[in-house]
Amino acid sequence: MNVRKITTLVEETLSEGGRAVEPAARVVIVAAVIDNPWAGQGFVENLSAGIDAVASDLGALLAPRVMEALDAPLEAYGKAAIVGLEGEIEHGSALIHTLKFGDHFRNAANATTLLPAVEKRAAAGTVFDIPLKHFTDATIRSHHQSVEVRVADAPHPGEILIALAGAAQGRPHQRLAPLGSD
Amino acid sequence: MTIESKAATATPTAPTESLERLATALGVRALHTVCDEILTEGGSAPSHPLRQASAMAVVRNPWLDTDTTEDLESHTRRVAPVLAKLLSDRLLKALGGADQVQTFGKAAIVGLHGEVEHGGALIHTPYFGNLVREFLQGSSIICFTDGRATAGSQVRVPMWHKTHAASRAHYQAMEVHLPDAPHADEICVIAVASSGPRPHARIGDRTTDEVITSDILKGITP
Repeated sequence: MNVRKITTLVEETLSEGGRAVEPAARVVIVAAVIDNPWAGQGFVENLSAGIDAVASDLGALLAPRVMEALDAPLEAYGKAAIVGLEGEIEHGSALIHTLKFGDHFRNAANATTLLPAVEKRAAAGTVFDIPLKHFTDATIRSHHQSVEVRVADAPHPGEILIALAGAAQGRPHQRLAPLGSD
Repeated sequence: MTIESKAATATPTAPTESLERLATALGVRALHTVCDEILTEGGSAPSHPLRQASAMAVVRNPWLDTDTTEDLESHTRRVAPVLAKLLSDRLLKALGGADQVQTFGKAAIVGLHGEVEHGGALIHTPYFGNLVREFLQGSSIICFTDGRATAGSQVRVPMWHKTHAASRAHYQAMEVHLPDAPHADEICVIAVASSGPRPHARIGDRTTDEVITSDILKGITP
């Protein structure tokens, strides 16, 4: 796995809607920019070799960095794969939609649910939003949220940007009725 | 006439229990910290990975509804030192302490209802610059960019060596994304720092440069 760059973002929201958020809401994103393992190979029918070579190492690289930067118990999480213009979206999906990748994050966070994801192909510097949901019950409405990310200069056409996102809480001032009460 | 903002009246006279609570009272809505670790550049790894960090505070513009005769001193004195502390703390945490910081820079991007001068007030006075310099243990003038923009734009913030501003190998910049900020009534105040020179820096220095004048164009230009 050839990593060009690792970006760590920490967002702290101190107020929302004109009202203080206490404690400040924390959301963390860690993104790695790697060479597309299938670059230059044309249409690869079976992606398993590339998955085996990269997916677990990526999860092991990103998950502890999210937990360290969050510096608080994780309550919601999500993931992203942004494929450079010469790759297939399937390449990004291959790396993130496998237990070999996600279990590193689930184990680090004592989480049980599926990680919501965004997958897209885009030029470097694209803006994308990572969806996050509750880490043990994806129906908990208070924790449905998204975080905006942009990494300048990534992904190059032959690269893939893979990211994990974690939040220490649900939305600031969340006040929607729970799902069961509709 | 000074229009006292809601944030101004909320300023406590006694120390607050947390810097973040004080920041909220001063109108800080959000803080974004980014750390980039550049492991390879141009296809090869530099001798040391470069780490660049940015810290941004999104703060309510304290001079809304004032005109160009407004004296900016009092709000600057009240807000800028706290921003310097908040941002320096985050840069130092991201990079691992002042001994890991070799370069620095700063920026202010004003929302559409403010003057560019309002951003300048928050970064170009000793109330901000002296504190950032002190916290990051530098002595250079801090290089900068500023302007006015709507939410969702990007700003490329320059930095140079914190004690040797002429060190060419340390000239670099970091692009900072401003999601959902600044709103029209806000200002984004940014400080940046990095752990070292550019990866593969190899364009000499003023100590190694030949004497170059416009004579170099003779015989080339018509």
